[in-house]
Amino acid sequence: MNPYDLINSLSGLLILTSLLVIETKKIRLSAIYYMVQSLVLVLIFLALATIMHAEQLYWWAASAFITKALLVPYVLNRAQRLMADAEPPKAAVSPSVSLLLAAVSLVISFIVINQLDLKIAAEFRPALAVSVAHFFFGQLCILTQRNLLKQVLGFCLMENGSHLTLALLAHDAPELVEIGIATDAVFGVVIMVVLAVQIYKNLHTLDAASLTSLKG
Amino acid sequence: MYTPYLSWLLLAPVILSLAIIAAQRVGWRKMLLVEILHLVSISSALVLGLLVLRGVMTQGSVIALSDWLHVDALAAVFLLIVIVVGFLVGVYSIGYIRNDVKTGELSEDRVSVYYALFSLFLFTMLLVVTANNIIMMWVAVEATTLGSAFLVGVYGHRSSLEAAWKYVIICTVGVAFGLYGTILVYSDAVNFMQQPGAAILWTEIVKNAKALDPTLLKLAFVFVLIGFGTKAGIFPMHAWLPDAHSEAPSPVSALLSAVLLKCALLVIIRFSIILNQGIGPEFTHNIFLVFGALSVASAALFMFVQRDIKRLLAYSSVENIGLIVLGLGIGGAAGVLAALLHTINHSLVKSLMFCTSGNILMKYHTRDLGKVKGMLQAAPFTSLLLMVGALALVGSPPFNIFVSKFSIISAGIHAGHLILMIVCLLFLAVVFAAFLRVISSAVFGELPEGVARGEFKPYILAPVAILMALIVVLGLYLPPQIHLLLNQATQVALVGEPMVDALNLLAERGGAFLPLVQLGIAP
Repeated sequence: MNPYDLINSLSGLLILTSLLVIETKKIRLSAIYYMVQSLVLVLIFLALATIMHAEQLYWWAASAFITKALLVPYVLNRAQRLMADAEPPKAAVSPSVSLLLAAVSLVISFIVINQLDLKIAAEFRPALAVSVAHFFFGQLCILTQRNLLKQVLGFCLMENGSHLTLALLAHDAPELVEIGIATDAVFGVVIMVVLAVQIYKNLHTLDAASLTSLKG
Repeated sequence: MYTPYLSWLLLAPVILSLAIIAAQRVGWRKMLLVEILHLVSISSALVLGLLVLRGVMTQGSVIALSDWLHVDALAAVFLLIVIVVGFLVGVYSIGYIRNDVKTGELSEDRVSVYYALFSLFLFTMLLVVTANNIIMMWVAVEATTLGSAFLVGVYGHRSSLEAAWKYVIICTVGVAFGLYGTILVYSDAVNFMQQPGAAILWTEIVKNAKALDPTLLKLAFVFVLIGFGTKAGIFPMHAWLPDAHSEAPSPVSALLSAVLLKCALLVIIRFSIILNQGIGPEFTHNIFLVFGALSVASAALFMFVQRDIKRLLAYSSVENIGLIVLGLGIGGAAGVLAALLHTINHSLVKSLMFCTSGNILMKYHTRDLGKVKGMLQAAPFTSLLLMVGALALVGSPPFNIFVSKFSIISAGIHAGHLILMIVCLLFLAVVFAAFLRVISSAVFGELPEGVARGEFKPYILAPVAILMALIVVLGLYLPPQIHLLLNQATQVALVGEPMVDALNLLAERGGAFLPLVQLGIAP
């Protein structure tokens, strides 16, 4: 298999796993799909490192494995256990609508990326378009899902998308930069989860739609 | 010029934040120890920051950590805001938080968390204004959200947790757009700059801006404006702001409004400089004018219907950020300098107002303007602070905001935006009405039953009184150091353009209407 095809195929797997994360009702299962997606992302980093002879991407792969494939699913699972008896809120839109929106964002991402004069190998353009679409999938998850933990997963999806964009366009940036971004992401998840747990303990709900006391 | 003070400026609040967490384990006089460490933290930031500023004034700019940290005159303006407001609001925090402990709003353990996060939040904002590495700039802005989220929700009430959640979600989603803008600029710069390490530095990108792809630059700037504009509270990305500002403890509201918004704005200015160098200023100017005017107009309308004093102040921040953005959109030496002057002035006035709203909360236990009445009888000095702050916010002389608001409008008229400026003035009249109502109802009127008479303790009033003094002084006289700093900062923003004394230019244009500015810059 052509190495570029491998990267683009793996990127396709990212889309599939994203949709599973968004549409699955149980948080535990969503977290597992997210873990699978993170492993795919790690594989993409490894493949990119080999193809582009970018050694630093091996480190990115290692840090993504620890933070995204292990740490984040672990944190989400612990939070889920703390709130095991919570009634899972319904999504704001039906799965068919969110799938349609996902498809639209994918098409727009491909069109925009093809229009841009980016100095990136043409073979990587599909992967780049997927990474941008992935970022929008994350936002879609935050906008359409009312479950606070699902919104946290939406943030994680966005973060995976921007991480892939970063690997494709800015892999030669100093390593400290990647460490900074990864640290922000992990702290982001931890802080959101702690807030979600506090909200659940105080308000006995995980439904973002019930957070309506502040208006105007 | 290299200076070790710059690295220490960033290290000190982190070390002291950890020390505060460690002090939580000490049993004896825990509160006092935590307060002392907090005071050491804000004082060290002030002193080290001033030492860095001295370096900037004498050398033009200072660097540290292999150019990753860089403070030029532009950053120095924002650094000045962080350290001065951070210090004064930090001192005010002590009395405010003591009251929260007394009334049972906060436990002693939470107080340690509050002070530790306060220092951490200060560190993240210092990192934003001193970062030269553009991706690190983004990391720092994202870190400000994470550092301050628990501060917003520290009370653990239904409404404060809701505000904290919205704050984190909206800001992380918004700021993520900023990362895309940053990556686009970097990936384009790295193609023609041999060293990836250099292509990531703002100072190097600006030098090579003309080689960047114009379409990519424009797209990147749109992403940057959405991303960092969310954090800066620019309309329509401001949705988190009224909730977070109103639900946070008042000193935190002051930091959010007076400092955090400005830090995000600095990042937008940094990117606009790259664009102006690369493709000329027309693109950024038009965008700034549209978003600036929309922010002023929408905020004015929201302010008119507000009954909650802290939400009113929050929308006033959107209005003032709009004015600053308008100044940047007007451009030229006069527009940029007026915008920077307004940045300083608004930070001082808004921190005074949020601290005063904190006093109101301590006295009346409500933020509802329908219930806050007769402050003149209950706490005369606090009501004086409120009057000065409100009059300053509406742009009344002899206070500092009058000078900068007038300068922005004057620069706009001279740049040919007469109609836009007239429309803005109409909306500023709505703002005037909103604040006049605050003064007439809260300061005067009948004191409700059950509200204790008596002024606050001196250590609560002193930092706010210093803010008031600065507001009055800067309304009448601009110290030569600030004059020089503002001119140098304007020069950084207009890199490559001939050096002019922008403040003198403004004063000449202001003519008879700007006697105070003329007085201020008279030799």
